[in-house]
Amino acid sequence: MNTTKVYNMQIARHRQEDPLNLQSLPLVSPPRDGWPAVAAALRGDARRRSLGRYAAGALAAAAVVTLALGLYLRGPGHDAAPAEGHLAGEGPASQTMLAPADVAGTTTESGTQDSLDAMIALSQQLEGRLRTIRADVGSLPSSAVVYQVELEDLVVQVDEELSRQADSLPLWNQRVALLLDLERLYANSLRREYHRMASL
Amino acid sequence: MAQSPFDIELDEITLAQARRGQESACERIFRAYQQPAYSVAYRICHCRETAQEITQEAFITAFRKIRQFRGDAPFWGWLRRVVVNHAISTLRRSPRDDAMEFQDWHATTAGEQEQLGLAMDLETALGELDAGDRAVVWLHDVEGYGHQEIAELFGMTESFSKTRLSRARSRLRLLLEGAGHGAGLNPEVAAADVSL
Repeated sequence: MNTTKVYNMQIARHRQEDPLNLQSLPLVSPPRDGWPAVAAALRGDARRRSLGRYAAGALAAAAVVTLALGLYLRGPGHDAAPAEGHLAGEGPASQTMLAPADVAGTTTESGTQDSLDAMIALSQQLEGRLRTIRADVGSLPSSAVVYQVELEDLVVQVDEELSRQADSLPLWNQRVALLLDLERLYANSLRREYHRMASL
Repeated sequence: MAQSPFDIELDEITLAQARRGQESACERIFRAYQQPAYSVAYRICHCRETAQEITQEAFITAFRKIRQFRGDAPFWGWLRRVVVNHAISTLRRSPRDDAMEFQDWHATTAGEQEQLGLAMDLETALGELDAGDRAVVWLHDVEGYGHQEIAELFGMTESFSKTRLSRARSRLRLLLEGAGHGAGLNPEVAAADVSL
């Protein structure tokens, strides 16, 4: 009796939800197998992703090598100022010089993450290099201090941004560029100081 | 609530493999859901070729976005939404229609033949509906969508869905009465096993 009631209730509910009993219509079969087309599209995606990773890796490697070359060529060891031992390529500054081979070793072909890792590594190496130069050289001439303070303020601002977006490649790029500018400021100041001393 | 033909369980391992982009897992998912996906696409657009395109595009989209599936609801519901979204946007762009072909529908016994006749009339009546009405009545009565969900899909209000549903049902009843049936298929008869 109860079973009949439940059954009747189910029929009533079914009639309310689907009064024309459309659910009784059979599933329709597709005219042909759609998987080959779907698989081809997915394989195309995979190929594009792979190419994209390769291109990003190659670009990252090129960018880092260019930066490293720039560093190498602008470094105190390559300035025409061999007055002090450190600047002549014998001191700690030259020992921390970035060689292209070292930098290339930090890059791989795995895209943005690798570019980011490479930029962070370069930033750390530049920090170390600047520490060494500061320790060797001491204070900058007053004419350069204004620029030094300005550049260091900018580095602090970028660091604040990085504390919010630690994985931002543009921010790391900016940081590296600022550190390179600082390094150049030291190199130019030292060169001027050398010429001044040589003229005495 | 109506049970959707999409309501097929998917094991976690296959889902995890598909998330990692494993092609064999994607194929298993495709094979499992191809027919309900094609069916709902066909019911909405009523064109076999367009339904085939919708199904393929929907699966490609689903596999590309499968990492976005959070797992807080059944996978089939998420996949069905992708298919229905594709079908509705295709319907908006180019409503097309073709007649249902019944050459694959077979019945051997007298009971099955009666059901086959009812189903054919219902299918033909569905084909007579306005594309929007057909989509609404199918999504509501078969897939179990609520009026609010249908309204969102079409970018309209709930009253749009209610009006369309009422109109579609009335029209279907009229068409079925014209074909010699009262109020569509009898659920008791329809519950029996048939091979159409």
